[in-house]
Amino acid sequence: MEDLIRILATFGSYIETYLTSLSADFLNHKKRIFVGYLAISVVMAVVFLCAWRGLGLHGAVGKVFDKDIFWSKSAKADYFIYAINRIISILISPYLIAQGAVTTFLFFQLSKQNVVGFLFLDHWPSVLIITIYTLTYFIMDDLSKYFVHRCMHRWQFLWAFHKVHHSAETMTPITVYRVHPIESIIYGLRGSIVIGAVIGIFAYCFGIDNFSLATLLGVNLFSFIFNIAGANLRHSHIEIAYWPWLEKIFISPAQHQLHHSIENKHFNKNYGAMLAIWDWLFGSLHFSETGGSIRFGLRPHEASATNIISIYLKPFIEISNILKYVYTTLLKLLKLDFPR
Amino acid sequence: MISHRLTASALAICVSATALTAHHFYGPYPVTLKGYSGDKTNSVSYGGQIARQTMEQSLKKLASTGNGGGNAADVEAQMMQYFSGPTKDLAILSPTSKDGFKIKQTTIGELSSSANLEGKFYKGLMPAWPGNHTGVDVMKDMISRAAKSNKGFDAENGYDYAQLISKFTMGAVQYSQAVDNYLDEKMTADVKPNDAPYKEGKHYTGKEHSWDEGFGYFGAPAHALALTPAAAYDIAKRKDMASADRNGDGVVDLKSEMVFGPAYYAAAFDKSGNTNYLASIMQAYIDGRKVISGAQGEKLSATELAVIKGHAGTIEENWEKVLAEAVFKYAGSVYKDIAAMKESGVDDKSYRKYVKHWGELAGFSMAIQSGRKNLGAAAVEMNKLIGFGPVTTDNSYVTGVDGNGNFVRDRKMTWSDYQLNMLKIQKLVSDSFGVKSRANDMLDELAKMSASADADTNAETD
Repeated sequence: MEDLIRILATFGSYIETYLTSLSADFLNHKKRIFVGYLAISVVMAVVFLCAWRGLGLHGAVGKVFDKDIFWSKSAKADYFIYAINRIISILISPYLIAQGAVTTFLFFQLSKQNVVGFLFLDHWPSVLIITIYTLTYFIMDDLSKYFVHRCMHRWQFLWAFHKVHHSAETMTPITVYRVHPIESIIYGLRGSIVIGAVIGIFAYCFGIDNFSLATLLGVNLFSFIFNIAGANLRHSHIEIAYWPWLEKIFISPAQHQLHHSIENKHFNKNYGAMLAIWDWLFGSLHFSETGGSIRFGLRPHEASATNIISIYLKPFIEISNILKYVYTTLLKLLKLDFPR
Repeated sequence: MISHRLTASALAICVSATALTAHHFYGPYPVTLKGYSGDKTNSVSYGGQIARQTMEQSLKKLASTGNGGGNAADVEAQMMQYFSGPTKDLAILSPTSKDGFKIKQTTIGELSSSANLEGKFYKGLMPAWPGNHTGVDVMKDMISRAAKSNKGFDAENGYDYAQLISKFTMGAVQYSQAVDNYLDEKMTADVKPNDAPYKEGKHYTGKEHSWDEGFGYFGAPAHALALTPAAAYDIAKRKDMASADRNGDGVVDLKSEMVFGPAYYAAAFDKSGNTNYLASIMQAYIDGRKVISGAQGEKLSATELAVIKGHAGTIEENWEKVLAEAVFKYAGSVYKDIAAMKESGVDDKSYRKYVKHWGELAGFSMAIQSGRKNLGAAAVEMNKLIGFGPVTTDNSYVTGVDGNGNFVRDRKMTWSDYQLNMLKIQKLVSDSFGVKSRANDMLDELAKMSASADADTNAETD
């Protein structure tokens, strides 16, 4: 009986953790889908539709909350994936590499070199240190996101997983969570390595407790600006575009929507998270195209938009096929290269 | 009717609680020696070890009584008497009674008639101190220098002798004797057997007394398992008479009710809630003693000896961790002291605090190197990082001694580089000994910085 009570109590605590985690991101102002940022995005979308598209208030609100989008089969799959991924996240998060471990490792690696000494810049004014740190953090975070995202599209192994995100045929702010768990792990590793390394280097140069990120309301300054500037509209049907010169610097919502386009000509464009500079520098920039002509998603043979089992398992099947292909090709090559 | 039932239930709970806790005291244990016909009923005895605990604490007191050279000869003679004996007629200088904390014994002779520290001091090489001396010679050197110093403080070279002497002794006598002698050699089959008295005429067996002596060096009261870490800590600080005076006779018996150095540090780290050193060590001592008592004066079997060695292993493992925790903690203290001096400038007070913490760091580092195990590369690295002395106000530090025995400070290091050494010590100790209490954890500060940097948004993708 006691064992049964203990099992039920453990199960109950897992359920509680899960239910809390389901709503946590909506209530966490560090997350993109925080209700406050969602509300700001709604206001921005309505103002945009009224002022630039000439819709009335009623029409604008109706378009923003278009039920054909929010209750489409693709969107329902997004919500389902969000719920499943929360469970997977609770199960695997304890096993992921800790960012602190990367920081400590790099810190001690730096201490082995003799070029610059520990704390050699700790006398700099704190305002300058915070500014440099915040900028470095932002640039390295954004640049590494660009490169990982680019790799996701260009390497077959990674594309197999990233397709899950691109299979969305309608987009809502929740689509940001429509990702295969393997992709989440890869992005998490990216953060651990890049941010861990930045902090390790800064701790070595400036001192362990001598620097911090510039924040607004407790949130990283750049994340805050990104989120209040309508980051949620990137995954939406509201085509807010910037002037071309600005779209070379910052990715507009419409540019990211183009990134999700089904058209061949839009493939492998606009990988950037916040900055468009990387796309511009590395030749993947595409200015926005508005007018409601963009269709989102992938062709049916590539990935299913709605079949949950396929969404989770197909990437593994594709990878095993790739491996089989590589293996058989290798065998053939060996036979050809070494004729009797 | 209901009240009768309640009373009976309360009584039953009290009786069972008493029965439960009685098992948790170290002693009394019956006399099991075959053929003993005297009137003793308790075979527990470790007065000599408690006497040495008071000698160590008294030496610490005396190390701060020098006036800069004028009374050096007197102070050194006095310290040497507490170190080498005879100690029988010497007053216990610490711990002593104070308001609200009355101690039963006032002289060392009330604890033991012949104990001294020198005879039991670690005699292996101690490379952490300049001069390439054995442990016992390092201590004599420290005593001599302490006597010449001003209140135990050598500002020029950065030494706090009270701290160095006290912490080193805690390893070189208490730890070393327990883990490398009484719980080691003396727990083998042919040494101090259980079917013979420890010495001719004694009422306890060889194994009983050897184990008791090992326990005495730990410095825990017999009722340590009934104490919270905070209460044990406060007893050592003479702040909690109620918790100390187990038998309620109004005085604290140093033999069975006081908390001394090694147990005090175990309790101090346990206060963090991350460790359970005091209880783990105490339980192992009690369990080991029960096996010996259970043999009823017969020779211990190979199985019984193996069980006892297992308990000895638990004691050694946890005790070593306590010393490692101390090295970890004081490396963090030294790091913070330097940061504070860099921030606000070096003054007498901040420098004195820094030197005190360095003395604790170096003393505990020597202590952990005085045990049974050869720590190998970890010890070499630790000594290199700590150095023979701390970085002093002109950035020089002690690198050795000249032909006349004077300290030489012919190299310099920046404060920042020395801070880095402290971080490396914390990492080394963490990697080598698996510390868990982790007081003053500067590595954690580093990891926390990283964890706080919006790690939760890292996995966001597009």
